[in-house]
Amino acid sequence: MIQDANFILLIVIVLDLYIVSSSRLDTCVNATALQGAALAFLPFALWWKQASSGEMIGLLLIGAGTFVVKSLLIPFLIFRSIREANVRREVEPSISLHFSLFTAAVFVAGSFWMASIVVFPQSPPASLIVPAAFVGVLVGFLLLVSRQKAITQVVGYLILENGIFIFGQILFKELPFIVELGILLDLLVGVLVMGIAINHISRQFDHIDVNRLDELKG
Amino acid sequence: MILEIIEQIAILLFVPPLFIGIINKMKAWAAGRKGAPLFQFYFDLWKLLKKGEVYSRTATWIFTAGPIISLASIFCAGFILPLALSSSPLGFKGDIILFAYLLAFGHFFILLSALDTGSSFEGMGASRGAAFSAFSEPAFFLSLAILCIHAKSVTFKDVFHALPWATWGFAHPVYLVAALALFAVLLAENSRIPVDDPNTHLELTMIHEVMVLDHGGPDLAFILYGSSLKFFLQAVLLVHLLLPLPSTNWYFGIFYLFIGVFGVGILVALVESAVARIRLSRVPQFLIGASILAVLGLILSFYKGAP
Amino acid sequence: MDSLLLWIFLLLPVLGSILCLFLRKPKLVLAFTTVGVLAEDLAGGFLIYPVFTGSPLHTADDWLRIDALSGYHILVMLLVFSLSSIFAYRYFGKEIESGDFKESHAARFGSLWFGSLGAMSLVLLSNNLGLMWVGIEATTLITAFLICIHRSQTSLEATWKYVLLCSVGIALAFLGTLLVGAAASSVSIFHGNGLMWTVLYQNASKLNPLTMKIAFVFLLVGYGTKAGLAPLHNWLPDAHSQAPAPVSALFSGFMLNAALYCIMRYIPIVNAAAQFNFAGHLLLLFGVISMLTAAVFILFQHDIKRLLAYSSVEHLGITAIGLGLGGLGIFAALFHIFNHSVCKTTGFLSAGKLDQIYGTHDMRKMKGTIRRAPVWGSGLFLIFLALVGAAPFAIFMSEMLIIKTAVDHNQILILSFFLAAAGIVFVGVLSHALSTAWGEPPYSLVSEKSKIFDILIVFFPLALLLILGIWMPYPFREVLEKASSILGGKG
Repeated sequence: MIQDANFILLIVIVLDLYIVSSSRLDTCVNATALQGAALAFLPFALWWKQASSGEMIGLLLIGAGTFVVKSLLIPFLIFRSIREANVRREVEPSISLHFSLFTAAVFVAGSFWMASIVVFPQSPPASLIVPAAFVGVLVGFLLLVSRQKAITQVVGYLILENGIFIFGQILFKELPFIVELGILLDLLVGVLVMGIAINHISRQFDHIDVNRLDELKG
Repeated sequence: MILEIIEQIAILLFVPPLFIGIINKMKAWAAGRKGAPLFQFYFDLWKLLKKGEVYSRTATWIFTAGPIISLASIFCAGFILPLALSSSPLGFKGDIILFAYLLAFGHFFILLSALDTGSSFEGMGASRGAAFSAFSEPAFFLSLAILCIHAKSVTFKDVFHALPWATWGFAHPVYLVAALALFAVLLAENSRIPVDDPNTHLELTMIHEVMVLDHGGPDLAFILYGSSLKFFLQAVLLVHLLLPLPSTNWYFGIFYLFIGVFGVGILVALVESAVARIRLSRVPQFLIGASILAVLGLILSFYKGAP
Repeated sequence: MDSLLLWIFLLLPVLGSILCLFLRKPKLVLAFTTVGVLAEDLAGGFLIYPVFTGSPLHTADDWLRIDALSGYHILVMLLVFSLSSIFAYRYFGKEIESGDFKESHAARFGSLWFGSLGAMSLVLLSNNLGLMWVGIEATTLITAFLICIHRSQTSLEATWKYVLLCSVGIALAFLGTLLVGAAASSVSIFHGNGLMWTVLYQNASKLNPLTMKIAFVFLLVGYGTKAGLAPLHNWLPDAHSQAPAPVSALFSGFMLNAALYCIMRYIPIVNAAAQFNFAGHLLLLFGVISMLTAAVFILFQHDIKRLLAYSSVEHLGITAIGLGLGGLGIFAALFHIFNHSVCKTTGFLSAGKLDQIYGTHDMRKMKGTIRRAPVWGSGLFLIFLALVGAAPFAIFMSEMLIIKTAVDHNQILILSFFLAAAGIVFVGVLSHALSTAWGEPPYSLVSEKSKIFDILIVFFPLALLLILGIWMPYPFREVLEKASSILGGKG
């Protein structure tokens, strides 16, 4: 089962790289949805053998919730904003895609390096959890700072959240599932809020280029 | 043993054009056409072999030698690669490196003979071909390196023996990464759709086709056959990786190989039918992506997580 | 009985939030929010009184808990909410007359206003650190659209920056929370309730020090973004300047403190695990950076609301320094929170009213405020005096206490930075305040009539500050001591 988990985590890492390298907005969002779907199976893969029946319900709820929120609702919301804001379908990075991809590769290497030196009080249940979490957080930040469109920033935020979600799976036993569901709800509402904000911005500005949101300074 | 060698030669000689035929047939079906006959490629080769050659006045001996050397080196590579789990006719310790170099050498001579025509058109093709193979080589070498690291050997025989049969994929996601990278290389090096279109004759987008425009007759036949052979060899490599053999029996291995190669052919045809050609300027990114995947695989091979 | 009251306190805002969506008349919504907040005051008063006099109250399997620290913050929160709600009635009333505040605006405002009250209450009441995080995140999302009640390019820009920056920050805080959980999961005592604050607090010394240190860095950066600690404060001046005045008052008056409260909860745990004042050192660093950054920006600021916003960054920095120094500093910091919240709320309210009168919040165009609008103008001037730490007001007392602690602890470097920044702020704010209050008004000098209501809103908080500056009542002092002893401080 650990192997299944590692397999899922590898898919997540590869999808992170794919999102960084893709030049089309739709592809990015679809890949994010796919990543969410993959993550929905992670709690099972990691824990189902040692879960008690009570925890099993928690696992089921988290898995189902993650799947519904991360791979159905959130992509739906983002696609709706793309449609309503009438965004051009290209990503428009502020640094070239080659360079983004290269940076992401360096981040991947760095994440594995960090994961191999950071000592946890308790060893994580699958060997790829820690590096995959680091990759998610770092790639999320990369997307947040290197993409001009508000939508791609949302994607970056989601990747970041996914990274943290992976990390959270180490602590399945410590983190009550009510909190996990609260987190999912927060994420969903967060994306909803961002989507609405994007729509308002596109209506007021005729674009959603965050680099041009620079009226307020000082 | 002798019989196996003869059979290997026979396979290398006769199967690759069929492989191309399968892909073309599948593509035609996917597009809703009837398509050319399965053995069309053999007819083409036969037709070309019967023809005479026309040489430009600016061409030198390199122009004629290119196709021959290229075909010879690719054929040599074919002798190195074991088709089943037994050893290959030319297998020796460290043969993976020679295999990769022979393929590159073959490509290099195609480039040279394209440049030798003195036409700016072929020159452009050669420059594109050189640039993109410079991007795909790292991915190819790194993927092979992943296999070698896990087998702790640089010999095909050991590498194929080390591939785990029963618990593939989930247990060794590294191989999946390597396979993905190799598949990208396979598409790029054999001028398949996301990178190049084998059917196009539009100078803006051609890569491989433009290099061989001046060749005709048996020369062109050598080139076409050589490239189909190279395609076949890389497909075989991919099959070994994706479907490790459960048994060392030669005939079982060959049977298995045919199924696998057929599968790869279908896969390529599906990709070609489903995916649009990417812009020429984005091709390097595709290949860099493949290289980065391979790097990821390498990192995974060296990473020792907690458990 | 008490736990019932606690649930009422938590659910009343939720109910109010839903009801607001059904009210049609804008005036009615505003009246309803005011009444609702006053009812919440009542519930809160009954809730925190026994906590202040007796022992902490907990319910729902220890998931919800009030001790002196959260009780004290509830007090501040209710004060800020009451002041801003009452003011909102007057502020938006003017906009209703001019037709800028319609039904949809009112429903949105009322429901989000109650929603943010509920979310902040959840932050203060939760004993589970995960739940606390959920509360803070909810606060961010709910308050986002309060900034752009009136949609304009600038307000949307501010909203976007706020949502994105704070979401990312809070995501990092979550990583920190998880690391705390990771540290707890390796010790058997914590099995199953590794995120319960009370359990962590009692057994903090058993936690892995390195993990807790890394966790605190993430927590400080994460919650610090939301608390507006420099250099992560970029969203703060934008959001504060673009939001309607009552909302800015709420942001500065309590939302920043709610985030700082989350950091506070971790201080004793981290310090006990690390065996030294690790959290304090980091807080000192962030505090000093915040003060200096704010000082520089205040000096060249022309927008009155941005000026107040940067002043919040400065005061949050001062609070962080107080918390970082430990001992008496914690007492001072908690006292400072109260003073700053009351002062800044009133400041934003007055500035908002002046903004309405002048039609701008550029101070170069707002001259002679004292003659134009005697109550708001003089009120704002006094607020500015209080904010820079002029003598009789309570902020002077709390800052003095922090300085005293710094001297006692021989933190000369911190002290010198503190004094330098405070000096720059003093010069910067006063130069702006003087020219605004006594400059030549740009056009016709019709002084704005003020109702008794306005006078109360401005001068009640000022009187409060003045009294606390001169004399601290014993019960208040006792509450502060109780709260600061939770954080390891001395009275």
